[in-house]
Amino acid sequence: MNDQLVSMITQLVMEKMEKSTGSQAPEIAATSTEQPLIKFYDKVENRSSGTTEATATSQEPLIQLYQHGAPQEVTTFASTTFNQPVNDAVPIKPFQFEEESLTESVQAAKKHTPARIGVGRAGTRPKTKTWLKFRLDHAAAVDAVYGEVSEDLLQKLDVFQVTTKVTDKEEYITRPDLGRRLSEESKALIQQKCKPQPKVQIIISNGLSASAIEENVQDVYLALQQSLSNLNIDIGTTFYIDKGRVALMDEIGELLQAEVIVYLIGERPGLVSAESMSAYLCYKPRIGTVEAERMVISNIHKGGIPPLEAGAYLGTVVEKILHYQASGVELVAKEG
Amino acid sequence: MKTEKIFSAGIDIGTSTTKMVVSSFLLKNVAGITHVPRIEIIEKTVLHQSPIIRTPFINKDIIDMKKIEEFISQQYQLAQIAPSDIASGAIIITGESATKENASEVVHTIADGAGHFLVATAGPDLEGIIAAKGAGTLQQSKNTSKVIANIDIGGGTANIAVMQFGEVIGTCTLHVGGRLIEFKDGKIQSISPPLMRLMERWANPLAVGDAAEDIRVTHCIEEMVQTLAMILHGQCRDEKHPLLLGHLPNWHKPVDAIVFTGGVASCIYENECTQRQYDDIGEKLAKMLQQHEQLQSFLWLQPEETARATVTGAGTQTTEISGATIQVDAQVLPLKNVPVFNCHIDPLTDFNSTVKTAVERANDLFSIEDNRSPFALYFSELPYLSFQDVHALCQAILLHLATRCSKDIPIIIVIQSDYAKIMGQTIQAINATVPIICIDQIKVETGDYIDIGEVLPSGVVPVVVKTLAFHSK
Repeated sequence: MNDQLVSMITQLVMEKMEKSTGSQAPEIAATSTEQPLIKFYDKVENRSSGTTEATATSQEPLIQLYQHGAPQEVTTFASTTFNQPVNDAVPIKPFQFEEESLTESVQAAKKHTPARIGVGRAGTRPKTKTWLKFRLDHAAAVDAVYGEVSEDLLQKLDVFQVTTKVTDKEEYITRPDLGRRLSEESKALIQQKCKPQPKVQIIISNGLSASAIEENVQDVYLALQQSLSNLNIDIGTTFYIDKGRVALMDEIGELLQAEVIVYLIGERPGLVSAESMSAYLCYKPRIGTVEAERMVISNIHKGGIPPLEAGAYLGTVVEKILHYQASGVELVAKEG
Repeated sequence: MKTEKIFSAGIDIGTSTTKMVVSSFLLKNVAGITHVPRIEIIEKTVLHQSPIIRTPFINKDIIDMKKIEEFISQQYQLAQIAPSDIASGAIIITGESATKENASEVVHTIADGAGHFLVATAGPDLEGIIAAKGAGTLQQSKNTSKVIANIDIGGGTANIAVMQFGEVIGTCTLHVGGRLIEFKDGKIQSISPPLMRLMERWANPLAVGDAAEDIRVTHCIEEMVQTLAMILHGQCRDEKHPLLLGHLPNWHKPVDAIVFTGGVASCIYENECTQRQYDDIGEKLAKMLQQHEQLQSFLWLQPEETARATVTGAGTQTTEISGATIQVDAQVLPLKNVPVFNCHIDPLTDFNSTVKTAVERANDLFSIEDNRSPFALYFSELPYLSFQDVHALCQAILLHLATRCSKDIPIIIVIQSDYAKIMGQTIQAINATVPIICIDQIKVETGDYIDIGEVLPSGVVPVVVKTLAFHSK
């Protein structure tokens, strides 16, 4: 099985699991609409030992094994073809994980961390549920890196799109240097479309997580715009960069002679959140700007710094940068 | 990293004693450099502890405010701090002193005069919680999964606060205290009204003038301790119990451990009774508590403070720091005694009608005739809001609140989750002239009051969440 199929199955199983632990009724008859993606028809065993299989259904396997315990089923089954099981007559007990029995102190501790604590173990292995959750989170992280920001969102934000020297995702990952330079046609496009010498230039890139942009950029961007307009600070023409790296802001700063750049970019996804976004800020970024002059507000997502609040706060940071005409380490020094 | 220092005072006017502490707090941004700042109090130092003096009274029903003010200014001099330097802290009137005729006047006047930002508080539930915090019991409960009851027994009342995992899960107050029966020259000089009611059930109740050694005094104490034990064991269901002040216990877990604080507790843990100059039942009550069989099943823990628990709590534990991303109109601060109304956002009703009903109900509750006093609208458990949602909510707030606000009465919004900056900013974007105070990461309830101090250099405001309940006799 390839990776995508694995993550899809995992997702489906997780959804099932959530549904079944959510509802209190222990026995739910599987209806035709609720069929899982994969079914295993254990035909040989069924025929040989119909009675023992009836007890086996209650042993709750991970993926539903449709077994036809009733003897009359077996006979009809044998006469029909392999691919048309008549299973809606048999009530099937859907799989359910055992109830978690966490002590109060573990529950209290769990409130303070998103880490996978108090998950128990099965022998030397993690439990199936923990393992599936881990696989799901890992798959979400992979999806975030390889995903794309939808055309729809870019239209909603009313931004145009440019590219870097990177041609595909593999190159983006293996050649960070190419992600730090604009493609030739993009340079022309930016110069043609953007307001030159803006006070604040906002740029957006999927970076290492397209889902971070999908989930958060709208709220952050709108809040930041509002915040800057309250403070009477002019904004340049915002645009979106496909497969950009942080230091790309230097070339854009050079190109547009921007005073401050706010760069909203998807963070490298982790296993707690694949939707975390960062806002990098820099005063007069130009080719050759050192990293110490950049600053960042990271961890912007629903479970971290709320996007709206981050956007509103960014406005005041921009105000401070403009006031001190410095960012990063120099700003801290000037602030005293 | 930069830190800033603020001074805080705590004053406790109790049934029999009054005391004061002056302390300093160190504030620091504890968030990582890539995060939105989070300002917290990282260090608390007690600079000065006053002696414990007897609460002065002009007569039975009136507290001698002048004498208390003299005492306070004397303590400030000893601490070498000017009242104008006090940026935080609380004065609390507790026990039977809170029932005196001028109780409210006393705390409010002293709060205004004895510190730049000193908060007036009262209320039996708050008393118990402040004592538990001051004695370090709340902190202790963070380190264990045990349900701990902190019982603060002073002259007039026993204030119980029950906590687990660092959170208060219930409170209860009883008329159990060392000064409920006073003696003079070997005779009973006074009996407090709740005890009189208790003894109404007796065939032959005690009366003023009976001998101090009368066996019925012991019976009386026994009954007080018995009631306390029943309350702690969750066996008391009688809402009209004569010793009960206010509500029945409201915690739902069995109590594992107990801690005593307050004046009577100093007789339990410290053997200071010989120094106690009070001619009352305090000492006997402490002995009875130690011996009572039904209290032995609990684990007994040690408090960090006994007689000074409440005052330490008032001085060092009442101040909270707001979230760092807030929107406040600095000119209208500080704001004192602002009542809170909880506006619950129901995902099924639109913001407009929710806010409208909340404002109407808050107006009914807090406005006296045409006199519009400010109140804070509190949003707890806000669902995840998008930019459009916030706009709709702010439109609704402005629609219903803008007309009633003026230079002195700003729109005051308190939010539990982290939304203050965006809400404040959005209100400003829609209407640039309305004064607004929009703070977050504060937990309050309807019926609470909040005091909001002046903006500190780091951009946060000190906040005190409190009650103002002067219970009548």
